[in-house]
Amino acid sequence: MTKRSGWRGLVAGLALAGLLTAAGGARAAEAPLRPDQTRFLALFRELIETNTTLSAGSCTLAAERMAAHLRAAGLPEGQITLFSTPEHPKDGGLVAVYPGTSKTLKPLLAIAHIDVVEAKREDWERDPFKLVEEDGYFYGRGTGDVKSMAAMLVDTLIRFRESGYKPARTVKIALTCGEETNGAFNGAEWLAANRRDLIDAEFALNEGGGGTTDGRAVAAGGKVVEQTIQVGEKTFANYRLETRNPGGHSSVPRPDNAIYQLAHALDRVEAHAFPVEFTDTTRAYFRAAGTARDDAVGKAMVALAANPSDKAAEAVVNTDPFLHSNLRTTCVATMLDGGHARNALPQRAGANINCRIFPGHSVEAIRGELAAIIGDPGVTVTALPPLRPSPPPPPLSPKVVDPARKLVARYFPGVPLVPVMANGYTDSTFLGAVGIPTYGVPGMWGDPDGNGVHGLNERIEVRSLFVGRDFLFDLIKAYAG
Amino acid sequence: MRSFRLGALAASLLAATLMTPAAHAADAPAPLRADQAKFRELYKEFVETDTSITTGSCTALADKIEGHLKAAGFADTQITRFAVPDHPKEGGLVVVLPGSSKTLKPILLLGHLDVVVAKREDWTRDPYQFIEENGYFYGRGVADMKAMDAIWVDMLMRFKSEGYRPKRTLKLALTCGEETSWAFNGVRWLAENRRDLIDAEFALNEGGGGRTDGSPEGKVIQQNLHVGEKVVANFKIEATNPGGHSSIPIRDNAIYELSDALVKLRDYEFPLMLNDTTRGYFAKLGATRNDAIGKAMLAIVANPADKQAEATLNTDRSFHSMLRTTCVATLLEGGHANNALPQRAAATVNCRIFPGVSFEAVQKTLTDVIADPRMTVTKIDDRGPLPKAPPLTPQILGPAEKLVAKYYPGVPLVPVMSTGATDGIYLEAVGIPSYGPPGLYGDPDGNGAHGLNERMRAKAVYTGRDFLTDLVKAYAG
Repeated sequence: MTKRSGWRGLVAGLALAGLLTAAGGARAAEAPLRPDQTRFLALFRELIETNTTLSAGSCTLAAERMAAHLRAAGLPEGQITLFSTPEHPKDGGLVAVYPGTSKTLKPLLAIAHIDVVEAKREDWERDPFKLVEEDGYFYGRGTGDVKSMAAMLVDTLIRFRESGYKPARTVKIALTCGEETNGAFNGAEWLAANRRDLIDAEFALNEGGGGTTDGRAVAAGGKVVEQTIQVGEKTFANYRLETRNPGGHSSVPRPDNAIYQLAHALDRVEAHAFPVEFTDTTRAYFRAAGTARDDAVGKAMVALAANPSDKAAEAVVNTDPFLHSNLRTTCVATMLDGGHARNALPQRAGANINCRIFPGHSVEAIRGELAAIIGDPGVTVTALPPLRPSPPPPPLSPKVVDPARKLVARYFPGVPLVPVMANGYTDSTFLGAVGIPTYGVPGMWGDPDGNGVHGLNERIEVRSLFVGRDFLFDLIKAYAG
Repeated sequence: MRSFRLGALAASLLAATLMTPAAHAADAPAPLRADQAKFRELYKEFVETDTSITTGSCTALADKIEGHLKAAGFADTQITRFAVPDHPKEGGLVVVLPGSSKTLKPILLLGHLDVVVAKREDWTRDPYQFIEENGYFYGRGVADMKAMDAIWVDMLMRFKSEGYRPKRTLKLALTCGEETSWAFNGVRWLAENRRDLIDAEFALNEGGGGRTDGSPEGKVIQQNLHVGEKVVANFKIEATNPGGHSSIPIRDNAIYELSDALVKLRDYEFPLMLNDTTRGYFAKLGATRNDAIGKAMLAIVANPADKQAEATLNTDRSFHSMLRTTCVATLLEGGHANNALPQRAAATVNCRIFPGVSFEAVQKTLTDVIADPRMTVTKIDDRGPLPKAPPLTPQILGPAEKLVAKYYPGVPLVPVMSTGATDGIYLEAVGIPSYGPPGLYGDPDGNGAHGLNERMRAKAVYTGRDFLTDLVKAYAG
């Protein structure tokens, strides 16, 4: 999942501005579960309780279990593809295809990763691999990130099948592994590289969007204050800076020194400011979010969206770290190492530079830019694997945004739908790289504290799960026609 | 031995080609005298007893030495064995040969028994086999410093059997842990726990000695008297930060703060300092060379504020370090994940402190140079109290000069202050000045000490043995 830090809609500004008077959650009092909800909950529980961590779990097992539900619902075997590679037998996934009637419309793809971040029983209050309902929340690893969506996609196809629904577009779902483990096997990347035809689609839906509350559960009187649709994301790369030196005994320092040479290079990186850039999405976001705020930063956001070379506006906007990062490529030193003994001159010093690359720049281009900034051939700059693609951002297309906006108006009256570009990243990058523009859907909501995603006691509000499910079902139908 | 580097000096003397008289050219090796043959057996046994920290035992070698001393007639009461329970293999021995004088204070002879770790698979020959080949002894410790250890033990046994009764009491301390900065250090332990046992007017230790011209004949071109050394201290400079996710960098960053500090540190030069030893060193050496460096040496002795002379001397790393405290970043660490803003970044700064400068003064200088209140500067190791620099007295220098003239005619005796560190600092910390006498010598390439295929010229060992015997007798009276 894109970290909560990875995107931000209007929450802060809107909440401050006190614009959101309408209650967000559509459902009023807690109604007893409908039969279809009860069945969905069992599916969700099964998925949560199937451990899919890299260290101890198996995505392959989870994919097989989900495939069994599809088969049981009558989806023919030929429409179900289970995949894995011999090197990563536990990192498998599933693609299911629900054929549409149209000969001209291209398919719709919806993806969700089924792997989860590691969770230790001794650190959690409850067993992370048991779905526990408490005080209006479901607790468990993956409840928020993102087995909820994975279960909804399987559930959607089951309901399509059972109702005999015939969409115009073919609807495909892909459940993949490896989103949380950068560098291990990534199912979305593998499908894009090896089964491009199987997942071909006009566009795809993924995690990355969603709503945010005012800090209280909707069932407890809180409000959803915004919904976002993710349209594009930055990609990332790690670069190793390294200096080398013959070294020697520290009692006789030499004029050149690997550590000082590196420190000098880091100073250059620190001093460099990457230029302001906009995509259609961020321009729209800066305009909308800036207008919604009543402060100097808001005015500067609007001014900068109108004129990216407005230096005064840029300086004001840069005071906000999120906005600063949303406007440009950023590169920051995150790790340092060097030397081999206290009493020896260093023979080597290195640093990791973590770059969040604005859409449209390749990993190699940023490597070249770093080398030029440093301007010292004695400092090597190497892009570290995994080398991620840097696709162009998906178009901010009315065909995608309008149906989502309509449903937000229906489910969350008065709540704005904000298109955002994430500073973090998801598997959308891999689909974008093979020409499938991918969007992070609104619907489910979380609390501003992040709901323990990637951390302890991960949770999702019960109502968010069920309303989000209805929302996503309707959204897929709206796109599929 | 640690970083005793005077290669530059030997090379510069060579370049000046002043040393025309062949000092002890390599003649055909004379047959060994009976006492030399006996000494060779002892030396062989020392080398073949592994005393490395990983696979060896100083205690085992001390056992053997105790046996030899007793066989030579030393009484049980004259021998003190020591070891601490946590380090049973790192023991040592102190032996005392009483002198006749009631007023003159003792002389302490010092040697470390431990050797740097050596791997059989890396060496051409077995490092723990004593092998003589083409005029060299090979084996771990032949140079650093079991030759001197064996010379000390052999000397006391001969004095005993000859019935030689020096005026001054002679003490010999053989210790472990000189080559490992983190294990048990015998000299430090003795200085802190058995100060009376090792009390002496002064001590003789490794650190001095001569250098050849590097030719196969091994012409000795210089002899050094080691007088004092710089003091080591490690400081940690550290920046901390709340950190955060790397997708949203913030202005404050521990790594950048540290980098700024390191760049300031790189650009800082501690002020020039001289003491009796380094003044003597530059005066003596400057007079022997006819180049810009030589002139600068004389100029700096005459006027320490001569910036031009200082700049000239600074072009040589050894002279630059000998002229001041140096601090250099040696280790770097920071961050905890590639995709997280660093919460901590730190560098270890290794300082070689000019004698007489306090740890606190260096720490303050580092703090002032960095001038960033967000950063901390902490001393991270403890080597005990600050040593006092030993004085360069005629009482020490005179006999050494006389013997250099006798054994190595035409070769200058140069007092040197080492930029590295020996166990002498622990003695100096408790008021026992420690000197590295001339006598033995090595080749300019360092003879593989601390490295591979450590070796020592046979002729250097035998000549050095005679030299040191005469020197100790001259000091002891």
